[in-house]
Amino acid sequence: MRARPALILAGLLLPAAAHAQGTSATSNFTVNASVPGSCAVGAPLLAAGRQVNFRGLNGTMLQIDELVDRTTLSTNAASVEVRFEAICTFPHRLKIETQNNGLWQTMERSSVPPPEGFGNAIPYRADVTWADENLRLNADAGVRRTADNSVFVSGAGLGEILLRLEIDAGATNERANAPLLAGTYGDTLRITLEPVQ
Amino acid sequence: MRTLSTSLAALLAIGAAGAASAQTTATSGPFPVTGNVPALCAAGTNGSGSGSFDLGVLVNTSTGLLRNDLAAPPKVLTGAFCSSASTITVNATPLLSVNNVAAAPSGFSRTVNFTATAAGWTATAATFTTGAASNPGAVQTRGTAFTGDITVSIGAFSTGGGNALRLVADPAYLGSVTVTLAVVS
Repeated sequence: MRARPALILAGLLLPAAAHAQGTSATSNFTVNASVPGSCAVGAPLLAAGRQVNFRGLNGTMLQIDELVDRTTLSTNAASVEVRFEAICTFPHRLKIETQNNGLWQTMERSSVPPPEGFGNAIPYRADVTWADENLRLNADAGVRRTADNSVFVSGAGLGEILLRLEIDAGATNERANAPLLAGTYGDTLRITLEPVQ
Repeated sequence: MRTLSTSLAALLAIGAAGAASAQTTATSGPFPVTGNVPALCAAGTNGSGSGSFDLGVLVNTSTGLLRNDLAAPPKVLTGAFCSSASTITVNATPLLSVNNVAAAPSGFSRTVNFTATAAGWTATAATFTTGAASNPGAVQTRGTAFTGDITVSIGAFSTGGGNALRLVADPAYLGSVTVTLAVVS
């Protein structure tokens, strides 16, 4: 007589256990990817209406229209704004670097100092605005050398780098309104966005 | 003596007859033997090796925008079965930057949405799109028991907030896909 209830109990227990373990089954997958830190800067474009005594932009070259005042033979004022489309997907450093620390004679380079009273270099200012940061580089033309300034940007950035170059009237490396030696004057500016780990 | 012998023989005969009568009436039963087959589901085995969809670099490094050729090989769950009517459900979470968890700056996003699909179990594949307001196709029902393979795939990638947004840099973007088979109760 005890065997019958035992058989019935076994029949009741089996489905209960199976119900707890297998009425649903799940498979999980992960999806992995990455985005490397990178920065990109587009070609320069002249900012409309912000050009004084500059001929314009030829490729990456900015050419001053009249560098010297024909009356005083000293520096004419000039200013220009150039913008660059840019992106950085990571915290980064914005750096501006001048090769000559001013506009210096390019073809007539000599170790001989200029004659007394003449200037052979022109100082200027470069102001950069990017991602809510402002950066200034004073290329004072005191010594011909490289010079730079930089700022850390704590986040990603997207938009335009705005570069404003300004040359004051009469600015020379000799004294204000000193005449300039004849020649071609130039400098090279580099703007760098560099991801910082 | 003869009389006694006769009497004993008669008693033995009676006893034998009595024993035969007792065996016939001792039969009992029937004993019922019962059992059942419970409704079960098993998700099968991932025959594709890794349990991860590896997409690599999400962006075109020249533009910072989401690549339009993202792809990952599908995963195949082999030997899945349900012994009764069942539902298949696919769920997914978007790819999010793991380390760079700050709110993305203007013009950027830290989210990549995609569509996960589980095909082979029902006539209409179960699909789930992360970031969608609703996913009515995420649950599909099969009315019969079934065993077979389930192919799980991902595709239709898009940047959260719009494909014009760039993705913030991060060495790890992570999302997930979950496929569930369940008995219809």
